[in-house]
Amino acid sequence: MGEMMSKVKVSTTINGDPVEYLCDAEETLLDVLRDHLGLTGAKEGCGTGDCGACSVVVDGRVVCSCLVLGAEAEGRKVTTVEGLATGDRLHPLQQKFLEFAALQCGVCTPGFLVAAKALLDRNPDPTETEIRFGLAGNLCRCTGYDKIVRAVQAAAAEMRKG
Amino acid sequence: MGRPEPRVDGRLKVTGNARYASDFPVANPAHACLVTSAIAKGRIVSFDLDDARAVPGVLDILTHETVGNEVHEPKFFGSGGTASTIHRPLSSAQISHAGQIVAIVVADTYEAAREAAYRVRVTYEEEDAATTLDSDGVETLPATKVRKEHKNPRVGDAAAALRAAPVTIDAVYETPTQHHNAIELYATTCVWSGEQLTVYEPSQFVHALKHAMAEQLGIDAEDVRVISPYVGGAFGSKAAVTPRTALVAIAARRLNRPVKLVATRAQGFTIATYRAETRHRVRLGAQRDGKLTAYVHEGWEATSRLDDYLVGGTETTAHIYDVPNVSTRVNVVRTDRATPGFMRSPPEVPYVFALETALDELAEALDMDPIELRRINDTRNDPITGAPYTSRSLMACYDEASRAFGWRRRNLPPGSMRDGDWLVGWGCATAVYPTFMGAATARVRLARNGATRVEIAAHDLGTGAYTAIAQTAAERLGLPVAAVEVLLGDSALPAAPVAGGSNTTASCCNVVAKACDGIRRRLVRAAMRADRGPLRGRKPSSVNFVDRHIAGEDGAKVSLADAFDMLGAPMIEEYAHWLPHGMEPDALKKLHLGSAALTGGAMEDRIAAAFGAELVELRVNVYTGELRVPRIVGAFAAGRIVNPRTAHSQYVGGMIWGIASALHEQTELDRRVARYVNTDLAEYLIPVNADVPDVQAILVSEEDRLVNPLGIKGLGELANVGTAAALGNALYHATGRRIRKLPLRIEDVL
Repeated sequence: MGEMMSKVKVSTTINGDPVEYLCDAEETLLDVLRDHLGLTGAKEGCGTGDCGACSVVVDGRVVCSCLVLGAEAEGRKVTTVEGLATGDRLHPLQQKFLEFAALQCGVCTPGFLVAAKALLDRNPDPTETEIRFGLAGNLCRCTGYDKIVRAVQAAAAEMRKG
Repeated sequence: MGRPEPRVDGRLKVTGNARYASDFPVANPAHACLVTSAIAKGRIVSFDLDDARAVPGVLDILTHETVGNEVHEPKFFGSGGTASTIHRPLSSAQISHAGQIVAIVVADTYEAAREAAYRVRVTYEEEDAATTLDSDGVETLPATKVRKEHKNPRVGDAAAALRAAPVTIDAVYETPTQHHNAIELYATTCVWSGEQLTVYEPSQFVHALKHAMAEQLGIDAEDVRVISPYVGGAFGSKAAVTPRTALVAIAARRLNRPVKLVATRAQGFTIATYRAETRHRVRLGAQRDGKLTAYVHEGWEATSRLDDYLVGGTETTAHIYDVPNVSTRVNVVRTDRATPGFMRSPPEVPYVFALETALDELAEALDMDPIELRRINDTRNDPITGAPYTSRSLMACYDEASRAFGWRRRNLPPGSMRDGDWLVGWGCATAVYPTFMGAATARVRLARNGATRVEIAAHDLGTGAYTAIAQTAAERLGLPVAAVEVLLGDSALPAAPVAGGSNTTASCCNVVAKACDGIRRRLVRAAMRADRGPLRGRKPSSVNFVDRHIAGEDGAKVSLADAFDMLGAPMIEEYAHWLPHGMEPDALKKLHLGSAALTGGAMEDRIAAAFGAELVELRVNVYTGELRVPRIVGAFAAGRIVNPRTAHSQYVGGMIWGIASALHEQTELDRRVARYVNTDLAEYLIPVNADVPDVQAILVSEEDRLVNPLGIKGLGELANVGTAAALGNALYHATGRRIRKLPLRIEDVL
């Protein structure tokens, strides 16, 4: 039906790059990222904002992209997991997730990384409790919980060193 | 092998580049949305599809009126087939469980498909449905009657021993309905190219899915390819083939266009399998010194009307302790629900909870430390058959866990350890998982420059299979892990068993090692025959592959490249198959047809299992009843550990699963209408990081020369066994209140 309905034209910034796309008014940001832009790092785990697997950062705030419309990205800055590494160089969080074995099946990992990055951007030296509660919107079923906290602590320490 | 290599698939996963089933781009897909039954039992009288068809972009709506006989009857995996149920989707108006697929809507966009699905109006004729074990209208049958190969382990005269025992326990235990809730949803994309079908679906058994599609759609298996390189959590839910796949394939064939389905979280509760609720009556008899004399265990498990799924966990529990008189019996209870299926440690989670709680009750009755009770009843042999364990380190696990936990500071009487407003309890339980293995095949290619490719249709569910297999090939061929590329999760690769029963590492590493040994033999032979070669005339057994060289014991060596030149070939490719001990000879044929046959556990001449000990601290707030678990220590022994890093992840993850299973998870049943109530991740409780304690996993070393050539036991389903009993036992120790029904909740202690 795409052609029959009026599409919304959106100009936004994704992972630092200016991006324009057409989407249906009712389409979620998650579906736009995955189906139109080929950014499949964000995952759908529930579609109701319960699991955090679709987490992206919009203007500095972590959101569940399944609860945001594609049209709402107009004029904003969106960061997805694909935007964390710089070329071949992994972000310290990505590096520490590998070193601390903080992932298993990996389907929740992009959401955790994005949420952890937003947490550290806001609070570069969080306590363990702040990390545990800061990431309480992300579910891991495998479950790497304790290791995720250790990885975020180690990444925070490394990032503070610069 | 044995080194804590980081995951070889880790980089793809942290960058968002690992492709899960729904991530694969397909050209111009149509999107599907399911409509599921609002009633549990009865029939569809009529559909009103006018509103749905009027939604712009709707392409097709499939119901039983359009699909009819198109799907051939699936064969139930519990009877040697591949499917989660014999139910033929959309074949008739009959409804046999709530949430059964009654229609599939296909549209240009997901939004249109979903809107149209909401507009499908179904008129039903509803009948009374039986929901659970004690509901009116259920049918209870002994397992031996519904499954001819089922055996109830028994030995001695348990009834007489119980009567004679000076100390006895007799109690009933219950475990709830639970759903896997892997974070990845049930997704299926089907693409036809002429007669050939490609299925992108998260799978624990790609060869089974391939053959299931061939059987159900009446096409040639060689025309089906299943692609599933990464699986976003499965825990048993993606092993048997569910009804949705054939429907998506039919929808795609009708439209001559790829069709993509991502079922909703709520639909996932009813279109696939789950852990059924169970009930147990356990009776123990013991002497006053703690020696067990009798163990009687009767279990009841819910199943569906269509299929007799059963876990029969006494097949595990009857073999754990040295009891001379054992009698067990398992029953299935047919209800009007969907057919249950494998969920992480299917038999062990409920049955070990019952036994390990009963043992704690016995320790209490004997005024004895519960670990001491288990020591008194430890064994080296299967109490049922007398056959020896290939290796067993249960008490070593208890010793290491006790030391790390500080168990000797435990006060024996319940309610005697308090910290301010918190009652503190320490509990323990045994973890056990039988060692299973399956027939497997693999292909390994080594090039002159050391580049190695391993091809095997095994599955990495997050377990670390990619890494363990890469390490195996790297060690055998004397190469760094980075030189080895591993291809998994594709039915075009050599067949490997179902990723179930924690068999993957044992089965796949053994067959890959065997293929590598074939390559080694050819290179060694060439190096030994080469004129003036440094290894000329050596015995094959006297050389090893180390650091890109074939090396003799005296330091003489030939580089891999030179050995290839001596052979006169640029690369070698070897195919191997492996049959584990005790496997029937036709296992390879069955494997190629997608049969999930495994061997292991209690066999005629030996018994193989991994063991562990879990010690937990549970705190109960005296005012609010809030339950918290500040720490848990588990020690586990599972033969040779191929990768301590990924094994550690499995143990920690397993214990957290165990905590979730004991304190959080329950699918609530509406008993009036046989429906689930809490079908989303807000209401189906699973822990978050803030709920999870200090988790310590100890890897106890164990050498097993008998279990298989590499001495590997499976461990993925070990650590979540026993956790629930340990927590319930800790709750008793904290409060003096014995809760025999999971999950343990605040309302149980208020």
